[in-house]
Amino acid sequence: MAVFAVFQTTFLLALLSLRTYESEVLSEPLPLTPESLKVSVNSTCQCLHLQWTVHSLAYHQELKMVFQIQISRFKTSNIIWVENYSTTVKRNQVLHWSWESELPLECAAHFIRMRSMVDDARIPKPGFWSNWSSWEEADAQNMLGHDPLFVFPKDKLVEEGSNVTICYVSRIHQDNISCYLEGVQIYGEQLDRSVSAFELKNVSFIREKGTNVFCKVDQGGVLGGIVLFVSKVLEEPKDFSCETQDLKTLTCTWDPGSDTGLTKQPSQSYTLFESFSGKKTLCKHRNWCDWQVAQDSQETYNFTLLAENYLRKRSVSILFNLTQRVHPMTPYNLLPKNVGATKATMTWKVHSIGNNSTLLCQLELLAEGKVIQQSNVSIKVNGEYLLSELEPDTEYVARVRCAYTNHFWKWSELISQKFNTAEAAPSEAPDVWRNLKMVSGHPTVSLFWKPLSKVHANGKILFYNVIVENLDKPSRFEVLSIPAPASSTELTLDQCSYQIHVTAHNSVGPSPASVIVVSGDPENEEVEKGRVNGTEDGFSVSWKPQSGDATGYVVEWCDGPQDLPCVLQWKNLGPNTTSTVISSGDFRPGVRYNFRIYGISTKRMAHLLEKKAGYLEELAPSDNPQVVMSKLTSHSFTLSWKDYSTESQPGFIQGYHVYLKPKAGEQCHPAFEKTVLPEDSVCCKYTIDNPEQKTFVVENLQPESVYEFIVTPYTSVGEGPLDAFTKVTTPDEYSHTLIHIILPMIFCILIVMIICYLKSQWLKEKCYPDSPNPYKSSVLSLIKSKENPHLTIMYVNDCVPDAIEVINKPEGSKIQFLGTRKSPTETEFTKPACLYLLPTEKNYSGPGPCICFENFTYNQAASDFASCGHFPVTPQAPPHQLGPLTSPENLLKALEQNYMNSLGEIPAGEANLNYVSQLASPTSGDKDSLPTNPPEPALCSEYKMQTAIPLGLASAPPSENSSLSSTTLLGQGEHCR
Amino acid sequence: MLPAAGEPAAGDSWGMLACLCTVLWHLPAVPALNRTGDPGPGPSIQKTYDLTRYLEHQLRSLAGTYLNYLGPPFNEPDFNPPRLGAETLPRATVNLEVWRSLNDRLRLTQNYEAYSHLLCYLRGLNRQAATAELRRSLAHFCTSLQGLLGSIAGVMAALGYPLPQPLPGTEPTWTPGPAHSDFLQKMDDFWLLKELQTWLWRSAKDFNRLKKKMQPPAAAVTLHLEAHGF
Repeated sequence: MAVFAVFQTTFLLALLSLRTYESEVLSEPLPLTPESLKVSVNSTCQCLHLQWTVHSLAYHQELKMVFQIQISRFKTSNIIWVENYSTTVKRNQVLHWSWESELPLECAAHFIRMRSMVDDARIPKPGFWSNWSSWEEADAQNMLGHDPLFVFPKDKLVEEGSNVTICYVSRIHQDNISCYLEGVQIYGEQLDRSVSAFELKNVSFIREKGTNVFCKVDQGGVLGGIVLFVSKVLEEPKDFSCETQDLKTLTCTWDPGSDTGLTKQPSQSYTLFESFSGKKTLCKHRNWCDWQVAQDSQETYNFTLLAENYLRKRSVSILFNLTQRVHPMTPYNLLPKNVGATKATMTWKVHSIGNNSTLLCQLELLAEGKVIQQSNVSIKVNGEYLLSELEPDTEYVARVRCAYTNHFWKWSELISQKFNTAEAAPSEAPDVWRNLKMVSGHPTVSLFWKPLSKVHANGKILFYNVIVENLDKPSRFEVLSIPAPASSTELTLDQCSYQIHVTAHNSVGPSPASVIVVSGDPENEEVEKGRVNGTEDGFSVSWKPQSGDATGYVVEWCDGPQDLPCVLQWKNLGPNTTSTVISSGDFRPGVRYNFRIYGISTKRMAHLLEKKAGYLEELAPSDNPQVVMSKLTSHSFTLSWKDYSTESQPGFIQGYHVYLKPKAGEQCHPAFEKTVLPEDSVCCKYTIDNPEQKTFVVENLQPESVYEFIVTPYTSVGEGPLDAFTKVTTPDEYSHTLIHIILPMIFCILIVMIICYLKSQWLKEKCYPDSPNPYKSSVLSLIKSKENPHLTIMYVNDCVPDAIEVINKPEGSKIQFLGTRKSPTETEFTKPACLYLLPTEKNYSGPGPCICFENFTYNQAASDFASCGHFPVTPQAPPHQLGPLTSPENLLKALEQNYMNSLGEIPAGEANLNYVSQLASPTSGDKDSLPTNPPEPALCSEYKMQTAIPLGLASAPPSENSSLSSTTLLGQGEHCR
Repeated sequence: MLPAAGEPAAGDSWGMLACLCTVLWHLPAVPALNRTGDPGPGPSIQKTYDLTRYLEHQLRSLAGTYLNYLGPPFNEPDFNPPRLGAETLPRATVNLEVWRSLNDRLRLTQNYEAYSHLLCYLRGLNRQAATAELRRSLAHFCTSLQGLLGSIAGVMAALGYPLPQPLPGTEPTWTPGPAHSDFLQKMDDFWLLKELQTWLWRSAKDFNRLKKKMQPPAAAVTLHLEAHGF
């Protein structure tokens, strides 16, 4: 039995060996199925990691095989990935393969299977696939907790520009889940009932703390989110270079580009690797790194700079010789030594480089920012250089830089030092000029000098010395010290000649003296006058050379306009010069500049040679002269502008234009030129080409015409403004004659009138006396001439009248008038009244024949107020006053007027229209109307006061009474002769 | 609700600090608090109250800056996330009746413990901050919060209450584990700042209540009259 068993085993082994041999030798393809397939999930990289073995291989056998791998998502039938993986397989070797999923693995279950095939050249027949392995499931969701909502991938780190797929897994199976990227809602694809995916394309860096993506159930308070860390793309270091300052340490620098640091990822690191030595160093700084040079005198270096972060590595390399990358350190202790007025020594030090190496140093000297000297000096440690040809009292900057002599690579940084040279005595005499004038009868010289230029001053000018030497009295000196920065002084001299020395002094000493000789005699102003033309460069002034011993010339002018105080300017010129260009920034167009040219004699005396005037640019006159018109006749008038100054104009006045606007239709006088003004009006123009002719007679005018004129000066550029014409009207032709006749006549008439007035009384008496005066009558003379003594003249006063009969002579009209208005007194007019006349003497009061006027008008009313008084009857009482009283109104007016006139004469107590004298006779009075009147003496002749009757008081119609009274009075007046 | 972005800058905080110092300097001059003899715990409570108000103001500025640093949605005014990982934070919210029924010792103890924890968490926050400016602001706030803690301890000592001793092994940590995602960490940061703000608000109430309780009636009347004076 045992033998049988051993035989059987041996047979089986032999059979197996035979089969193996067959497979090897005969190359019979065998189905080598992958076994022990295991799948694991790596959430960090979102990878599925596969591992398997192939057990069917023979010992020590190596076969090249192909494994076909299928990956399904959610379910096995949903195959999303197929890949053939080729590799060489040994027996029992564990094979590995990884697959990175775009979709986070936590969001979906994945299923994996594989099959294999021998793909070895040693097996000629085409292989065939083995059977599929069973599906292996990779489900990361099992690892999730119990939260209702998950978002994946968690805290993923990607580079800018990547595409990222985000997904969420919901355990609550609700549709109202919204997802947001940085607060902005995003929309994706629902992969499963509880899974949605969102693809974010080309993500960009937002912040170091990461980009927030979160999902939430609307109004559910459920929230899940992730932070997506987006890193900037790591850049290749730029401008990578290395150099040494001392051949001991290499310093490599580069431009790192943008920082890729996040809270999830530190900033990129830099590592310096040297290939020859095989050494490397981790750089502490992001843009430079030090490398210690080895002692073994390595000359050539090959550096590689490696930049890396979690996502990427970038590197850059350089190869160089150490001695060709020497960049010396900045020199130090640069100092000036032994600084004089024109020389200075500069010293400096450098850091040594190695042993016995020399440096080439470049010393530059700068003045006012510009390099004026440059010198190269080879030194080891201490440098020294003598700077010469310096200007005194000048600030300089010296600067030094050095380079490695053996091989120039770079200059070191510059070191600068400022220094000032010492002062020296001024090298030139000040430029002095003078101006002579008489002040209070004394010749006074004003001395001017120009400040020395910096080149010549050689330091700060402290003062000027002016030495005045009397040439006529050589022993007389006067020394004036004028502190800087004064540039003028004034000296009062006498008639002697003086030599004046002017020197400028700084702290070192005086300048050479400037000598000028002045004389107290007034200058000869009668010299040739001319004009100069201005150009863009200035005034080109020329003069005639002075025959004789001129040692030079001086051109003098004022910079400002004539009406401003003169800022005296001058220019010294050599003896052989006869022209120069005077230029100044102060010259302005339209301003007259006067130049005076002096010749300097050997005795340093200046003599005025010529005067020139000119304009930098002539302008047209801006103003017209003030023209006075005179001698206006019907045919002419005279214009005059004598006050017009031609000197102060913006150009040389060449003459004047007289414009005359003629009457419409009138032609210009032949002497005038017809011209058209800018406003298109026609005008007559007369040109006066003599600027000194400042009067003009406009003739041949029409009488009684309106003319307009203007006088405008003109220069070579143009004329003045034609804006304000003056109007003038020529008078009538005969008015002149008429005035000559009418005026004397008026005068004569006036004389006659005055005489008449003065002799009016005499004339009156002569021509129309008031009443004939027999004594003055010519009859008298006639009588007298006849010498008849018996003839005389009777005087009225000498007559004593007996009685006067007054006859009432009614007139038809009056009767008719009265008849129409009957009054109670009407019948009484028919009776003649008996009147007694009073004597005509004044103040007569004695008894005598009485005249009794009975005025019936006042019978009733007036008598009530009557009182008796003595009033003289004035014969001058004008009868005409009574005449117009034909109506009650007139009466009242007359009464009032009379009342007013008589107020001054009548006593105040009786101021009641006391008027016409009327004798009240008690005997003949109306007893009925005046029953209360007291009886009056019969012999007493009295005027009864007549009172105006107020209308209201009159019993009868006042109009009738008044009319009647007036009539009566008139009648009385007429009849009292 | 935490403030949104655009809060006052750090310069304002310094101004407020100066103002607070001035207030504290003049506190002895307040008649109600300037009593002769033993002043009692009144001044300490007043100082603590003032400090909580100052810290409230300071936190408003700091939180705005920090939430902007976290980015949206954390700096959005209406963001109110669930309190997932912040359960270890001491809660300031409490039922009103419970709060009223707290005795002085318990009230002060809760304050002290809360700020002890919050200060520890805040220091962790500071360590994670990426920008130097933010680290400076957080460090300044931590210093102030440390001051508040000392002030509370002073009040407790004045009232004769012992300080609570931390149990061994219960030292709060703020080191997230590997499962703690950055998003959850940001939510925790958000809750830390929010809880801190609520605690400061609650402390102001606590110390105001204590202050009134400790003041004698006369002083209260004085203050009342002064208030009417405005």
